[in-house]
Amino acid sequence: MNRRKVDVVLSAILITVSLIILTNDNLVEGGMETELGSMFVPRVIAICILLFSGTIGIQSLLKMHKKEKLALIEHIDTTGFGGVALYFSIFILYWLAVPHVGFIVATPFTIFSIAYLLGGRSWIPIIIISIVTPIVIFYGCSQYLRVFLPTWSLS
Amino acid sequence: MFENIIQGFATVFAVGPIVGIIIGVTVGIIFGAIPGVSGIMAIAIMLPLTFYVDPVVGITMLLAVYKAGIYGGSISAILINTPGAAAAFLTAQDGHALTKAGKSGKALCMALYASVTGEMLSTLVLIFVAAPISLISLKAGPIEKVYLLLFAFTVIGSVTGESISRGLLSTCLGMLFATVGMSSITGATRFTFGMPELMSGFTFTPMLIGVLVMPEVIMAIRKRHNPQANLGLTVSPNPEDNRISWKEYRSVLGTIIKSSGIGTILGSLPGLGSTPAAFLAYGEAKRTAKNPEMFGKGSIRGIAAAESANNAVCAAAMIPMLTLSIPGDDVTALLFGAFLIQGITPGPTIFFEHTQVIYGIFAGFLLTDLVLLVLARIGFKFWTKVASVPRHYIFPCVTIFAFAGAFTANQNINDVMILILFTMFGFGMRLVGLNPAAYLIGFILTPMLEQNLDQAVAIVGSEYHLYFTTPFAWIFTALAAISVYSTIRQRKKAKRPVMAKEEKYDLS
Repeated sequence: MNRRKVDVVLSAILITVSLIILTNDNLVEGGMETELGSMFVPRVIAICILLFSGTIGIQSLLKMHKKEKLALIEHIDTTGFGGVALYFSIFILYWLAVPHVGFIVATPFTIFSIAYLLGGRSWIPIIIISIVTPIVIFYGCSQYLRVFLPTWSLS
Repeated sequence: MFENIIQGFATVFAVGPIVGIIIGVTVGIIFGAIPGVSGIMAIAIMLPLTFYVDPVVGITMLLAVYKAGIYGGSISAILINTPGAAAAFLTAQDGHALTKAGKSGKALCMALYASVTGEMLSTLVLIFVAAPISLISLKAGPIEKVYLLLFAFTVIGSVTGESISRGLLSTCLGMLFATVGMSSITGATRFTFGMPELMSGFTFTPMLIGVLVMPEVIMAIRKRHNPQANLGLTVSPNPEDNRISWKEYRSVLGTIIKSSGIGTILGSLPGLGSTPAAFLAYGEAKRTAKNPEMFGKGSIRGIAAAESANNAVCAAAMIPMLTLSIPGDDVTALLFGAFLIQGITPGPTIFFEHTQVIYGIFAGFLLTDLVLLVLARIGFKFWTKVASVPRHYIFPCVTIFAFAGAFTANQNINDVMILILFTMFGFGMRLVGLNPAAYLIGFILTPMLEQNLDQAVAIVGSEYHLYFTTPFAWIFTALAAISVYSTIRQRKKAKRPVMAKEEKYDLS
């Protein structure tokens, strides 16, 4: 993937966000009056973002216009992005499942899925790790840290 | 001061801190030694565990992970020529050459002794220098602090990024994210879009784990089809090849001391980190060596220079954090967060408000070096075996630890969503060349900037010239300008050979 195109799109988004911060007064609610006001610092930051993202965007646009050769760091290697998408899907499903089925039930499936995704095929050690790790974390958190991870709440 | 140091040792010589240090060193060596896993991942995962323990125990444990993680990186660098971090690149060159010659034990011993000596020397500098500097920085008022923070943002942004504009943009993004939620000055809610969950801003721990740790898991998933290199320790039948004699150590002691000095000076400057320190010390050792042609081909002096400088950065990086409230890199940003979570604000007042804690931590630094020396030395074989654990066992567990760590912060499942979103954000940042360390430092320091700016405005009123009457204003503005200028010059210099190379091997 060509990073210059990504730079241009990203710069356009950041410039738009900065302009919204600079012009919209509805982004802040309440608060007491001070000399600088609540939006002074965010607006100064927005100006800086506008400048730096503008610089990055213009540089990339110029390079694209001049059809300059891509430098090594301007290539975005998309190898393995399918696996990344799968990983995020597993993580989101895990996040959705934990409040309902509980940490101890949801975690073994997650560990097993990620281990499988990473190419693990030694089933017995993976199953053992999938079962032991959540139990250790669950009881470690509740006994030593006084943090109570979600439990089964389907009933 | 000496009373405080003795008091610090009394604090740290208790069961809690010692167990914390042993756990920290063990975890640090293991994580540091596993190729593709960095010490910072271990620190971020251990961070939630420190919420509920005494600050001395929690912080010394994290520092032990940090120090041992850097040493652990040299194990994979020496044995399989895979430096875990850029700073271990030079160690890999000489260390792996020794491994190929059947002297991996010698290389590992040299790396360990140089690391521990470098760390100890820089810790002593930290102990004796930090408190006096803090006395000077205590005199700085809000106006001076505003200039100091602007200087820190400029230096860190310009030095750490892939380019100056990308580094500064990363810092600004961190600053913008820090303004989300209720303003501590006016009480107004900003950028919450009616969502009460955003009232208190983004929770620090899930954001930190998402930006720093999880992208490493993603990188491992991207490279899942690449075969994993196996660590193996070759033991030579000649015992001399498996150890460093006192004579050999003494012969490189001068190099170690000089390199530790370089590491300490560079480490105490925000934004530079361990890589330039290792390269500079290695270059200096090569320049002054009697046999410079041996460098890169298995020179123990080369390993000693790179490792001592690399490790001396650890304690020195704490100097700007503890004296000026400026974390200089991603690890110190993380430690800064750990201090804040413990209710301690790193800065010059720490030496007066939390004397026992800070000197306990300093004593913990020194004790960590001893524990690292003992644990690493007695178990080279064990560490290499543990570090060879396949990644399909490690990364699923890292994911679950990250989940539990994010949840632990507020016992709120929404924080896990923040973790997922910031994982995507952190991964995206790496793809487009933005720097997570600069982002985090921007995030951490912005509330301080806002508070000091508000106080400065109240002091100055309508007499705006007062902003420019303090010498700090001119000094820090000049330093920021010099830093940006020198970075531009350095980058231009570094670009020329790369461009020539790229022209030679047409990349398009």
